[in-house]
Amino acid sequence: MATSKIDDPRVIEFDVRTDEMLINMGPQHPSTHGVLRLVLRTDGEVVSDVEPHLGYLHRCAEKIGENLTARQWVPYTDRMDYLAAMNMNLGWSLVIEKLLEYDLPERGRHLRVIISEMGRIASHLVAMGTYGLDLGSFTPFLYGFREREKILNLFEEACGARLTYSYLTPGGATADLPVGWTDKCRQFLNQFKEVIPELHTLLTTNSIFVSRTAGIGVMSAKMAVDYGCTGPVLRGSGVYHDLRFHGEERYTEMYEGYVFDVICADPETGEYPESNYEFHGDSLDYPEIPRQAILGDCWHRFYVRMLEVVQSVRLIEQAIEKYEATSGDWGTPIKLVQKLPAKEAYMETEAPRGQMGFYVVGNGDSIPWRVRARSSSFCNLSVTAPLCQGILLADIPAIVGSLDVVMGEIDR
Amino acid sequence: MDLLAVAWPYWHQFFFIIFATIAIGFGFGVLLSKNVVRMAFYLVLSLGSTAGLFFLAGAEFVGAMQLMIYVGGTLVLLIFGVMLTAQKDFINMDTHTQDWILATIVGGSLLMVLLFGAFGAEDWRTPQDINDAHVSATKEATPLGLALTGIRVDTLGESTDAVADGKSGYLMPFIIVSFHLLVVLIGAAYMARTKKLSHATDDKSSRAKLMLFKMEHEEEPLEEAKYVVTHKGKSALNPLDPNDEN
Amino acid sequence: MADFINNIFGIGDSWVGYLIAALIAAVLILHVVAVGALLFIWMERKISGRIQDRLGPTRVGGKYGWLQTLADGIKLIAKEDITPDLADRFLFKIAPYVGLAASYAAFIALPFADGVVAQHVNTAVFFVLAVLGLEVFSVILAGYSSGSKWSLFGAMREAAQVVSYEVPLGMCVVVPVMICGTMNLTTIGNMQAGLFTNWLVFNDPFTFLTAIIYFTCATAGVNRAPFDLAEAESELVAGFHTEYSGLRWSLFFMAEYSSMFVVSALASILFFGGSHGPIPVGQWIGETIGGTWGLSISRIIGVGNLLLKGLIGVTVMMWIRWSFPRLRIDQVMTMCLKYCVPLAALGFIGATTWQYLDLPTANSLVGNPRYEKHEMWTEGVGVTPAADAGPASGIPDPEPHSEDKTANTDSVTVKTLPVSVVKGGER
Repeated sequence: MATSKIDDPRVIEFDVRTDEMLINMGPQHPSTHGVLRLVLRTDGEVVSDVEPHLGYLHRCAEKIGENLTARQWVPYTDRMDYLAAMNMNLGWSLVIEKLLEYDLPERGRHLRVIISEMGRIASHLVAMGTYGLDLGSFTPFLYGFREREKILNLFEEACGARLTYSYLTPGGATADLPVGWTDKCRQFLNQFKEVIPELHTLLTTNSIFVSRTAGIGVMSAKMAVDYGCTGPVLRGSGVYHDLRFHGEERYTEMYEGYVFDVICADPETGEYPESNYEFHGDSLDYPEIPRQAILGDCWHRFYVRMLEVVQSVRLIEQAIEKYEATSGDWGTPIKLVQKLPAKEAYMETEAPRGQMGFYVVGNGDSIPWRVRARSSSFCNLSVTAPLCQGILLADIPAIVGSLDVVMGEIDR
Repeated sequence: MDLLAVAWPYWHQFFFIIFATIAIGFGFGVLLSKNVVRMAFYLVLSLGSTAGLFFLAGAEFVGAMQLMIYVGGTLVLLIFGVMLTAQKDFINMDTHTQDWILATIVGGSLLMVLLFGAFGAEDWRTPQDINDAHVSATKEATPLGLALTGIRVDTLGESTDAVADGKSGYLMPFIIVSFHLLVVLIGAAYMARTKKLSHATDDKSSRAKLMLFKMEHEEEPLEEAKYVVTHKGKSALNPLDPNDEN
Repeated sequence: MADFINNIFGIGDSWVGYLIAALIAAVLILHVVAVGALLFIWMERKISGRIQDRLGPTRVGGKYGWLQTLADGIKLIAKEDITPDLADRFLFKIAPYVGLAASYAAFIALPFADGVVAQHVNTAVFFVLAVLGLEVFSVILAGYSSGSKWSLFGAMREAAQVVSYEVPLGMCVVVPVMICGTMNLTTIGNMQAGLFTNWLVFNDPFTFLTAIIYFTCATAGVNRAPFDLAEAESELVAGFHTEYSGLRWSLFFMAEYSSMFVVSALASILFFGGSHGPIPVGQWIGETIGGTWGLSISRIIGVGNLLLKGLIGVTVMMWIRWSFPRLRIDQVMTMCLKYCVPLAALGFIGATTWQYLDLPTANSLVGNPRYEKHEMWTEGVGVTPAADAGPASGIPDPEPHSEDKTANTDSVTVKTLPVSVVKGGER
């Protein structure tokens, strides 16, 4: 494990030698998020090594993409990150539009912002709920899912499905939002703003939650970048990088004209930038950072997600106004059998779990030559092994939960 | 509603037989069993019935103390140790014949000594005699506490002056045992400590700092230009940002 | 009661009366344990449902689903009896019974009202604590004999936790014992009769602190959240009872719920007045009606009082469980050794000093005299205050003990049972 230099602070000498245990956590396990198998090498309660084994949910989506047209492959993206399916659909739609050099009408752009940010809220509610569940707090899970139910009801009205939407397709969306949908959405947002402080009280500022997550799994900025972590995992370590600001032009122009903050702490001070968005009007909006929290630990990753939800609410409000102000084509989908030019295109979007990239190579036919999805959770999961060295067994759900992985996306 | 009324010899004997049988039977179980963990469990049952015997004799405090200290403390420790360290050698323990012989000799002689000592005592008193005493202290905690500090109040009603005078308090053994326990505690704490260097990794913040040190120590130092935070909207990962002109 | 039965049947002094009395007591306590478990599991599901913004069981047995637990019990009994291959069969099978026996035995010394107790044990407090400490065996044996590493982990952690928390628990329990001067639970309960200012929790602020620490240590001692890492479902699947199914699994939970009730009832007897309510309604009713009937009715009200207080304690434990995340094992041990033990010691020293300096209690605010302790450990001529017929000063005499068969005004006790016969309702 470590070198035997006595001066090196990483060396710990023990008087008594105890035996190591090789423990298998999963693939059926309530707290690994999906079918993940973690092989732990532990010495009693202290874990010395973690090796994730993947592939239990592999469904050959990419190979199947070599036999389907662009619009036919949209349902397969749904099933990758099934908790944020709208954002997966968006990524695929954008890359096909990039390949075809197709420009979306204004109304369609605003519709996509509404839908993808609602998907982001839904996904973060699951992340927050299941994280509390991993740590033994059963109630915020149900509160989060209560709100998520309302979002799913709205989605069901829009596209007919609650989990695997296939709504955002290359060219726009399959249908326009129904009449009155934006009013219901506004109603939901107004009511949702009251719930967020409840969740903060139950989890973010709860002293037991803080003692379980603060200072655990600290990841330096350099380590996060080296392992290719993206999304809240990266921003939780203080690296200021969000594809909605810093991504490709084709993606950032979707968010053109919108005002929102990127949630990332300043690495030197450890403080989050002041936001001028007041959504509830009291001190519970932005809870204080606890004393024990270190930038890059599980608590900060969780906190980034909680604050991103607030920014998504802000974005949706602006998007609804802009959507109702524009009229016209919402973005009719492309033809079912649309010939793809003999080029390649790669597009990364900011999905709730990180940077989700799609790569497509056309060859003149309507069926692409190669389809590839770059999964955000895959790279986020790879950081488990170095983070979990020398921790206690009970910290593993805390760390894996804070990385917020979905196996559907990792295994495809 | 006192069930174990000593005025009813049948009842008393009935329960005495039950408890004694369990104690002796499971004691034999400890001897004859081959599995170490089962041996420990049989010992639990055996000592539990000994506590029952104490309750039967009306010594409720001692019985509860037997349960709490012997069964609930010592045997938990024993079972803990046995359970965690029971490897191949000890799952099936076979006792050789010579061990049986040696054990019978040693144990048997100890049994003889105890029996002679027990039956040779002159002062056998049944609980009946205690009740007939002029003044008797009940078996509450206060007389025991007073006895431990040297004042024997349970012998106030003794008819024979010689017997009353001859009983001294238990202060000295109490102090000796207390010191003994203190020494044991200190010794256990000393032995159980893990020798660590000054950069202890117990608490979370130093563990995290160690983590960071690990990262920084193994690779080359951080290049400042790569990871500057600008908060003016520019990405911190400048070289990786395709749209950035810098 | 045994004599009563004997007299009814006209057998005279015979063992039959004692046997029937014992059976009645055992059956009554079994009712408390089993029906209590049924009730508590139903309550847990309903309360957790309401806290989580959902309903809980609503179908079985009417609108509120109160027979749900019974249906679950029947289903569990009908399940296949599976023993894992690597399990040590004997220990695997006996582990749940050990826990249930320990839990059940603690009820022997628990007084449900003034004189309503299965066995008058002088050192009742010590006895209950000792017996509750035996519950750890069921967990250790279950974890070990299941033959799986996961169960072993759970058992190890739980054993360490329960045994560690016995220390501050004992220290907290010593405070009311010290204030009352006796370990007899019936007497401690009776000393708090009357208005609620008599309750020991209002005696001084240190006892108040001690009551809170006691409740925390009791929650840790019965493995309830936030200390429930032994059954941490999301980390070890189900900890030490992973391999159990069917009736054996339900016995673990019965033992857990009855232990929860025991520690809550013990808390209410030690700190919150026991079977005496905040306003002495039962006493007034008993005195108004008078005679044996008044006595019995006031005792029944007392039993109801204690059951209600135990229920409230269990409800608070459930409330806490569904609100907070779980603590890690090292945080649990830190809390025990760094926080609970010093605070319990502080409470003890503070309460002792308060008593010694005779500082005012809640009683003095209301105008009641402080309840007097009295020495009860002797009997005989001129030594005992039991020789006088009246109660010790300061305690409102709850009800006349007409059932007292032994004369406690005799100067020399002849052929008495080796049990203190001072007033306090031990007959």
